[in-house]
Amino acid sequence: MYLAKDTYQQQSDLATYCRSGKLSDNLEVLPRRVKHYRRLVYNVVNDSLVSAFPLTVDFLSQKQWNTLVNDFFSRHKSQSARVWEMPKEFCEFFSASPTPLFSTYPFLTDLLWFEWFEIEIFMMEDQVFQRSTTDGDLLKDPLLINPEHRILPLSYPVHLKNARKINPDEKGAYYVLLFRETGTGKVQFLDISAYFSLLIDNLKKGYPLFPVLKEFQQHMDGSSLEQLIENTLPFINKLREIGFVMGFKENQ
Amino acid sequence: MNSFVGIGYRKEFSDDFVNREIIRPSFVEVAPENWMGIGGYWRKVFEKITEEFPVTSHGLSLSLGSPDDLDWSFLKKIKTFLREFNITIYSEHLSYSKCDNAHLYDLLPIPFREDAIKHISRRIRDVQDYLEMKIAIENVSYYTPVAAEMSESQFIASILEESDCHLLLDVNNVYVNAFNHGYDARDFISSLPLDKVSYIHMAGHEQVEPDLIIDTHGQNIVYPVYELFDFSVERLHPVPVLLERDFNLPAMFVLQQEIDKLNQITQKHWNTTNVFSKGYIPTAI
Repeated sequence: MYLAKDTYQQQSDLATYCRSGKLSDNLEVLPRRVKHYRRLVYNVVNDSLVSAFPLTVDFLSQKQWNTLVNDFFSRHKSQSARVWEMPKEFCEFFSASPTPLFSTYPFLTDLLWFEWFEIEIFMMEDQVFQRSTTDGDLLKDPLLINPEHRILPLSYPVHLKNARKINPDEKGAYYVLLFRETGTGKVQFLDISAYFSLLIDNLKKGYPLFPVLKEFQQHMDGSSLEQLIENTLPFINKLREIGFVMGFKENQ
Repeated sequence: MNSFVGIGYRKEFSDDFVNREIIRPSFVEVAPENWMGIGGYWRKVFEKITEEFPVTSHGLSLSLGSPDDLDWSFLKKIKTFLREFNITIYSEHLSYSKCDNAHLYDLLPIPFREDAIKHISRRIRDVQDYLEMKIAIENVSYYTPVAAEMSESQFIASILEESDCHLLLDVNNVYVNAFNHGYDARDFISSLPLDKVSYIHMAGHEQVEPDLIIDTHGQNIVYPVYELFDFSVERLHPVPVLLERDFNLPAMFVLQQEIDKLNQITQKHWNTTNVFSKGYIPTAI
């Protein structure tokens, strides 16, 4: 390493100042000018977060939002070289170290993750789509589902209503299916039940619908297989209509 | 028509680039960080751009001036990206944006010191060896020197010599730094090893205090920077010239007017048909 200890320290002190606002007495800079670096760095981070979390920004007061951003930037060491990915670290940071604001608004973590996953699905690398056919038996043949998706479990219905209208007593088990439309690249999301979440997990493993439902039926008291099929097929048809179920897997 | 001038491609431009009647850059420059490892809508847009324009790349996050170790996994992704889209020009900033294992997403000034020269030159050589290509480093704008022990021009020239890389001459940054630190911009440019210049950046800036200009890329290029560009072009062999506009985006025709003006200046001094025409290789690239 060619870098002298003092040179490293100067660089470290400047970076620390930008993140935390704490100016080291040893840092040899023009004090009147160095403040611009903290402002510029903060603006980049804040702009990226504001762009990623429009619903959260709209919900919180400016002061609450600024506190979150400052807290994140001063305490967290961002790892992503791509600034558009940094908001994911914002979600991870506050999921692991929630501030009192997250107790005041217990749905806030869910809201952040929901907003992030729309970005993640929109930007995710193109996945390999298996070949599909429209000919098949809905119950017996493996369905081809859009691999560009994610099922997000939530504790609050942030995907269904404005954050201002969510009550603490609405805490429960919610699931959102987010997937990227193949043609437009737009992200669609669908509120689904825990049952359908589990069903999709099984379908994407390549199991046909019938044996999956048969297995489910064995663990469900009171429902006949026929009832399960009757309740499930409308959901599968809806998934076909919106393009999440893309047809039947073609035999390899 | 001679054509040397491209534009920094932004997602906000995508609709306007479909119809090339309004904006007609010779090439586009992209930040790999914004385009690598993505899919969906923007991947399709990017593929179309690479089919229609020569593409150069200008990195944001390699942090050549960082005291931290080089991020080899990131560099590997850069190499994959450049290879995948057959991009043969890659530049980065002579600054640092990561320190103590934390990205800052902006360009911090490096102490102008001998040990920093050796440290950064080694890193540039490592990057060039890994990428199997020469890179260009950009002179950045800075608002305060940090524990400097030599001049900026001496610092840049030494790194260029020790690392055997090219210089991306950002003319606006020279203007900004000359204003902010009270030196003569023409003298500064003349003192640089101009045979190492392989690429030029031009942009607008914003004066925020009586004695301070910030390099915002958010305004039109001002007349004195055009003058400095003219002065520079007269002393350089033909290289690609890039218009940067990242904020406060005007109508596309305004950007085309700036491109036209830059082209007019280059045509006064350079007569090569097109820096990206088949067979043309700028001597420094």
